[in-house]
Amino acid sequence: MSVSTSQFTKLLPNDVLARAERMRINPRRRRTNRMRGEHLSGKGGTSIEFSDFRDYVPGDDMRYVDWNIFSRLNQPYLKLFAHEEEMHVPILIDTSASMAFEGKFELARQLAASLGVMGLMSVEKVSVYPCGPPPRTTPNLKPCSGRASLKKFFGFLEGLSAAGDLGIDLAIEEVLKNHRGKGTAIVISDFLTFGDVSRSFNLLHGAGLEIFGLQILGPSERNPELTGDLRFVDSESSQTLDVSSVGELLGIYHEHRQALEDYLGSECRKRAGRFLSVGSDAPLKTVLFDTLLRQGWIR
Amino acid sequence: MSWLTSWIPNFFTPSSAWLFSLLIPIIVFYFLKLRRTRLEVSSLALWRQVINDQRVNAPFQRFKRNILLFLQLALLCLIALAAMQPFFPGDAERLQYLPILIDCSASMAATDAEGKTRLELAKEEVAEIIEGLMPGQQLTLISVGNSARRLTDFTDNKPVLREALESIEIVDVPSKIEDGLRLSQALARTHEIEKIRFYSDGNLPTRINPATGKPMAAVNFDLPFAVDFFQMPAAGNNMGITALNARRANQERWDVFLRVEGTPSGSTESRVVLMANGQVAGEDRVILGPGESQRLVFGVPADAANHLVAKLEPIGADALEIDNRAWLDLPAAREITVYCPPELLTFRHALESLEGVRVEPAGDGAADRVAYDLVISDQADDQAREAPVVLMVGTLPDDLTEMITILEEPAEVVDFQRDAQLLQHVQLKDVIISESPEKKEGVEDPDIEQLGYTMLAYGNRGPLILRQRDGTKVTYFLLFHTDRSTLPYRVGFPVLVNNLLSEALQFASLGEMQAAKTGVLPSVSLTKNETYRVTRPDGKHEERMTNDDGLLVGVPASQIGEYEIRSEGNLVDKIGVGLLDPSETSLFAVDKIQFNELSVQAEDQKLKTDKPLWPKIAFAAFALLLFEWWYFQKRPAGIPD
Repeated sequence: MSVSTSQFTKLLPNDVLARAERMRINPRRRRTNRMRGEHLSGKGGTSIEFSDFRDYVPGDDMRYVDWNIFSRLNQPYLKLFAHEEEMHVPILIDTSASMAFEGKFELARQLAASLGVMGLMSVEKVSVYPCGPPPRTTPNLKPCSGRASLKKFFGFLEGLSAAGDLGIDLAIEEVLKNHRGKGTAIVISDFLTFGDVSRSFNLLHGAGLEIFGLQILGPSERNPELTGDLRFVDSESSQTLDVSSVGELLGIYHEHRQALEDYLGSECRKRAGRFLSVGSDAPLKTVLFDTLLRQGWIR
Repeated sequence: MSWLTSWIPNFFTPSSAWLFSLLIPIIVFYFLKLRRTRLEVSSLALWRQVINDQRVNAPFQRFKRNILLFLQLALLCLIALAAMQPFFPGDAERLQYLPILIDCSASMAATDAEGKTRLELAKEEVAEIIEGLMPGQQLTLISVGNSARRLTDFTDNKPVLREALESIEIVDVPSKIEDGLRLSQALARTHEIEKIRFYSDGNLPTRINPATGKPMAAVNFDLPFAVDFFQMPAAGNNMGITALNARRANQERWDVFLRVEGTPSGSTESRVVLMANGQVAGEDRVILGPGESQRLVFGVPADAANHLVAKLEPIGADALEIDNRAWLDLPAAREITVYCPPELLTFRHALESLEGVRVEPAGDGAADRVAYDLVISDQADDQAREAPVVLMVGTLPDDLTEMITILEEPAEVVDFQRDAQLLQHVQLKDVIISESPEKKEGVEDPDIEQLGYTMLAYGNRGPLILRQRDGTKVTYFLLFHTDRSTLPYRVGFPVLVNNLLSEALQFASLGEMQAAKTGVLPSVSLTKNETYRVTRPDGKHEERMTNDDGLLVGVPASQIGEYEIRSEGNLVDKIGVGLLDPSETSLFAVDKIQFNELSVQAEDQKLKTDKPLWPKIAFAAFALLLFEWWYFQKRPAGIPD
């Protein structure tokens, strides 16, 4: 991507950044922390958002007594305010070697940046976890929030590179060993793993995180045009696989790819999450402001 | 198990099987060459699932892994098989040299319900033989009409054979198989011919078998080889004109006789029209039962020359079209002129009683004609008079004076040719002759015959009546004078005179006229040694020269229709030629040909020829090659739109 000197980050064009700043992540459920935040909790709280009145009982904080009502009715009533809690937005970005193909990693970083910006500007606790390198070899971006964290956030993403061979399922488990806080987990990966993400998604769900699964596949993964006898070499493990008459197997390949997509979608929806599969050749604006917006990921 | 063996192919060049050994290097090279293209992919996760799919492990998929090898092996097998030249063996034994005789006579033009002629059916069968020709086999095609014509040398060149086969056309003449057999016999001197094949409808010249009373095709030929006779299926019903002739009824009228015959296979119906100089001279409707014939008589005025055309207009199916027309030219009537000196009173009496005969010298003694139709004289000088028929009475030809002497002794008739035109219905046995011609010592009959004489009657010492032909002129010699015999007093005498007159009438074309048949054009009297152009009915023409007698002879007429004779572009004569052959019209077919020592039965079934497979196999190899190319060049399957 060509970076203009006037751009805030080389990950996102300024117009995209500007628009993303005005948008918010739209989780299906409110999974918030006790910590104050901008998400209204169902429980009473201490925000400025009025919720209800109740009778005063001894021990209540006198500061919340509505003195106007007391002056009219000579009865102390307590003003209840909605509790505003913070929401964690851990972004799990697949940085394994498989993401280095056909612009998958670039789109993943752009989407992570866009969604992260939305979280930061909503004063969510946004953190970034690279998934791919061996555990505890790559630093994470600790939860941060607010516009002040933008620079740090972008800087972290720009510093990521696709290298590693850890499956996304294992990487998620590693992330959950460190992460605390409820919210929405954005998992950006190609999900091309030999493992099963079911357990990982269970752990995410159990940790109070709503799963936003974003699958990015390259054009050759979505519509491979191959013929003849080939020896496939895995970019992560360097394992080989001899396949004859590849052209004849493409139909079965597509069935399996579709089945994986359906499976991931199903696994996410079962845990009240969302799932979307996009091609790495899809324009960022289209994905961000059309697909994700229409599907209710963001608002 | 013959059906089984007929389905097991034979190989003409089994030695080419060594090509199968090339399978080994192909297999070896294939596996040595098998090096897969390395392709780095992001992950093998999906591909491993694909490979682990049950369908991938199906036998067909396993086969597909080496489909290129299998295709190449199949291709080589097909090429090797084609090189071995397999074929399904037919019924016929394979011969190196095989003459094929194809009847192209008129009856082969007969059509069946499908409209195919017998010749076309024969051509189809021969074409199959040509297609099934194996290497080393050579054919020669011989068309047999009234003569045989060799169309090709012995060759295995299929285009040449096909072209020759296509060139065979119907000739409107009866067939004459002997010529074809003789031609084959001549070929057998230079080639090893064991068998010949003869394709015909079986309509061959027949004669009655004395043993069975049924007609049989007898061919006077000693077969030096075997003959396979393949008979074409019978054609449909047919009716045709088999005879057209005319006889002068009197000075004013010709009686025209027309015979129509039908096939024995069924009833036929037709309308008969006789045209005279373009006008309808008569018409009739004829219905014939199976094998029946009918003679029709029409009267035509004789006051002028007539160009007659007889036409059949069939009502219903008619297998043969060429026998539906016939032509006849009738001259204008005139008196026949006879020179007979007054001394021959007996002859003059007989002649003057006949109608339409002018005898000279007349009562005033005038005899000023240059030419006569008939000369009867006992004067040796009259032999030089110009007439087509001359009877010299009591005159010994000059060239026989050294061989024969006339004795003054009684003679009796020992034998005579009853079928000679002069002596038809004439009884000479009890005629008393007082002169006796005697052969001189040492003279034999062949000596006389060598001088061009035919002996018509024999006495006890030598010939009594001689005939000499000189060009178109016929001279009869009665070596005894009728005045010295009892012949004038016999019933046979006026018959003899009438026979003479009939022959003279024939020469003058005033007695009986017969329509010309196909074969050879009737001789035409024209200017001596002059070239004429004869144009055939199909428009082709040839140049012919008349002989010293001014006759145009030997012009082949193998097509029905009118032949035009022109000199320097001017039409000189026009002669119509019809088929007029009862056997061809009847389409009667025999299924057995009797040769001198053996008979040949027609084959019951159509001959199964060798069917070569190598063109089909070669085509399959080519198709496989195309498939292989397409298979490995096509866009990968399974990509969704």
